[in-house]
Amino acid sequence: MNPVPKNPLPPNPLPPNPLLEQFLSEARDLLEAIGKKLMQLEDSPNDQGILNELFRCVHTLKGNSGLFTFPEMTRVLHAGEDLLGMVRSGHATYSRELADRLLEAMDYVGLLCGEIEATEKISASRAPESKLVAKALRRLMPSATSDPIPRNEETAAATISSGASALAAEVQSSLDDDPGGVMPQLADLPEAARRSALEQCRQGDQLHWIAYRPQRECFFHGDDPLNSARQTPGLMWGRVVRPEPLPSLSELDTYSCLLGFDLLTNASREELDEYYRYLPDQVEITDVPANWLAKGRDETNGPGNASSAADPSRARSEDDEAAFNAILAAERQILLLDDRPAWHAGRLKAVAEVLANLSQAAGETSARTDIEAALAEALTSGHNTLLLAWLDTWTATWIATWTATRKIIQPEANLPCVPGTAGRNAAAQAEGTADAGPPLESNPGKVPADGQIKFGRRAGDYLDDGIKFGRRAEDSLTVPRSLKVDQVKIDRLMNLIGELVVEKNALPYLAQRAESQFGVRELSREIKGQYAVMNRIADEMQDAIMQVRMMAVSFVFQRFPRLVRDTSRKLGKEVQLVLEGEQTEADKNIIESLADPLIHIVRNSLDHGLEMPETRIAAGKPATGKLTIRAAQEADRVVIEIVDDGKGIDPAVIKQKAYEKGIIDEAALERISDQEAINLIFAAGLSTAEVVSDLSGRGVGMDVVRSAVTKINGTVVVNSELGKGTSIRISLPLSMAVTQVMVVESDGQLFGVPMDHVVETVRVPRSSIHAIKQSQTAVLRGRIVPLKSLNALLGIAAIPRSNSDDELAVLLVQAGNAELGLLVDGFQETMGVIQKPFSGFLSGLSAYSGSALMGDGSVLMIINIREIV
Amino acid sequence: MPIEFKKNRALFREEVSVEEAEGLLEWLQTRPAAKADLSACSHMHTANLQVLMTAKTVISSWPKNVEFRAWLEPALKSVD
Repeated sequence: MNPVPKNPLPPNPLPPNPLLEQFLSEARDLLEAIGKKLMQLEDSPNDQGILNELFRCVHTLKGNSGLFTFPEMTRVLHAGEDLLGMVRSGHATYSRELADRLLEAMDYVGLLCGEIEATEKISASRAPESKLVAKALRRLMPSATSDPIPRNEETAAATISSGASALAAEVQSSLDDDPGGVMPQLADLPEAARRSALEQCRQGDQLHWIAYRPQRECFFHGDDPLNSARQTPGLMWGRVVRPEPLPSLSELDTYSCLLGFDLLTNASREELDEYYRYLPDQVEITDVPANWLAKGRDETNGPGNASSAADPSRARSEDDEAAFNAILAAERQILLLDDRPAWHAGRLKAVAEVLANLSQAAGETSARTDIEAALAEALTSGHNTLLLAWLDTWTATWIATWTATRKIIQPEANLPCVPGTAGRNAAAQAEGTADAGPPLESNPGKVPADGQIKFGRRAGDYLDDGIKFGRRAEDSLTVPRSLKVDQVKIDRLMNLIGELVVEKNALPYLAQRAESQFGVRELSREIKGQYAVMNRIADEMQDAIMQVRMMAVSFVFQRFPRLVRDTSRKLGKEVQLVLEGEQTEADKNIIESLADPLIHIVRNSLDHGLEMPETRIAAGKPATGKLTIRAAQEADRVVIEIVDDGKGIDPAVIKQKAYEKGIIDEAALERISDQEAINLIFAAGLSTAEVVSDLSGRGVGMDVVRSAVTKINGTVVVNSELGKGTSIRISLPLSMAVTQVMVVESDGQLFGVPMDHVVETVRVPRSSIHAIKQSQTAVLRGRIVPLKSLNALLGIAAIPRSNSDDELAVLLVQAGNAELGLLVDGFQETMGVIQKPFSGFLSGLSAYSGSALMGDGSVLMIINIREIV
Repeated sequence: MPIEFKKNRALFREEVSVEEAEGLLEWLQTRPAAKADLSACSHMHTANLQVLMTAKTVISSWPKNVEFRAWLEPALKSVD
């Protein structure tokens, strides 16, 4: 019964468009919310709060849909928004019907979402549907604001069978064949245009009549209706019409469109729907069958016009009847002529052809064979009797059927669908659709048995069920492909996997105990085997959970085009922004904490780095500055570079400023290198801009950047060349969840040192350690490295122990730009730990960055190298 | 300038945009007998056509573009 498949198109793997995906995911949420709110409203129809929320949801969804070329969706939502707006302001009342219509409209929007998901677009053929849905919504508004009532609406409503609602009348009228009375208008066609149109029609082209009535305010939307009309695909003829009389010249409003257009085109319906998809409510497209174009009877049933001629149930006018009878009489006369000229055979053939065509036109398709048989006989025998006999019998039956048909048709003649029946059936058959049944069965009040409605059915079908589009909301639950999960849940998973990793780490201890304490070597080996498997699964699981937390840096990057545009506009600079590697992923927390530092840096580059266009040209650079923000993954770190081709950082200026602000003393002023001077931009309280603007220059920029980056275990490095530009390189861990630490032993306690800081582990003989003043040093790989005892740094009163060879364990660490040897008692393995920051009172301990749980259940303190050295 | 206003004749050139309509209207309001020369005009915005139709302006010369002329001629001639 219902040939419309639930998914019109199979899901197609298309490259994902992130914006579209987000739109779809939001649209689904909003649709769900709208549905819920409508239900709530049903229980408490006077709740202004719910109504406001509902309005907001529809409004948001409409706004979102406007970002894409989904005019069909926007149109429906716009109507919904208007309707809700009126309900909210008290101009319309909330009713069950209103909720029904809105829910149906939202189902329809959901359907469109499904289509977008599958094909990334909405087919233009949806335009008429969406128009109907929107109209159905607008119908519920008080009439003052609804669309102008269609011309023929009253008549249609008056004549349609009882029980028909106004909506159905409208649906009827728009589905009807000649709602705008196109046929009479075709008489205005110039003869040449009419003939060529008819010719096209006969060659099988479907012509369309378009009544284009632009909105009055269309000029403000940038429309030029005359241009649209001229560019209409397949245009064959067109004219300018004045739907209403033009005002006097003094009253004319130039910006209000008063003209309309009538067009005749041979483009397909799809092409026209596509072309006019933004203005379907302003155009009325009507199929033009050939017989509307034909003037004389001879043209009506031309050889190419089989589609309408073959229709056995064509409505026939009295004129037709008279013409038929006249033709039949004339043919009879010809057959009765009793001469035998040379052209007798030709005459017989002509008569037979006319009769065959005539019978075909009347619906007697089988008659042709009879006529041809009679003709063959007449040609061989030289007598017309058989043909004449056929003609006489046929004329008799013809008149009989004629009267019978008229009796059936006439009682229904006042139904609006009948005058156009011939055209509709002809058109429907020409298109090969099975929708238009024989008119004798057409019953506008008929309710379909299955209650399901699809477009293309007769309008009467909509009467009881409203508009359903082949599905109900509960019929098919579209399962969204992405899942929105509360971050708390992911964090819980993260904690659980962390515990699992710790538990798993207990197994090697167990194996060790099994062997050393209980002496069961076999069991120990088995435990180790089990551990290896568990280790692999736990690792993979951890990885999978990390993946869930991964986000692309585009999340942060996407705000830059706007930021750069606005800022550079404000500063009067010309800047080209280049974003690279937006797909690079990192942990959500990392990405989120990156946002603020990056904005600071970009603003700084725009404000201090890039010069004004004139300055740039004077310096021999292109007027447009280039700002590149590049993200890339390097091993287990994400590197983000912000590069500008501006004026660079002048170390001398920085030094001077830093000295003036008391950040460095006079000695340092002389001593520090240019690179060190540039690094001073990260010092608190330094601003190099002469004028404090609202953009930057308050002296709280770069130090904030550095502390934000170091907080997430990142590093930031500046390189700058005077006059060439500056590059700032931020390196961040991919994830903060798991930290690789090296476990060291000192005074019988275990400490963790993040692997990021560890350069190497060496054993240095006590004899190679030299004391320079109070500090100890050693020469490692040709460099002098200061040595410090971890015990001393942590305030433990114990001296570092050496091994049996009197060698001291030195952990060479990198802290900032300096290297340092930490004297410890011994090294243990490196391990991945889930670091937990201190909370409460302990959070004040800056020497440790946090703690982690070891496999044997003991707590490992993680040393914050930057703080203790 | 897509419309060149001579003493009593408006010369339409190439494409005449919607912005011209206001000026055209004002100009025609003060010159009821003015004529329009469209020979060099390839398109005019609907707003301009509307003004010409309302003002019942006499067209001294039709567009060279046949297709365009076919649009304008019936519209501007039928103004009574």
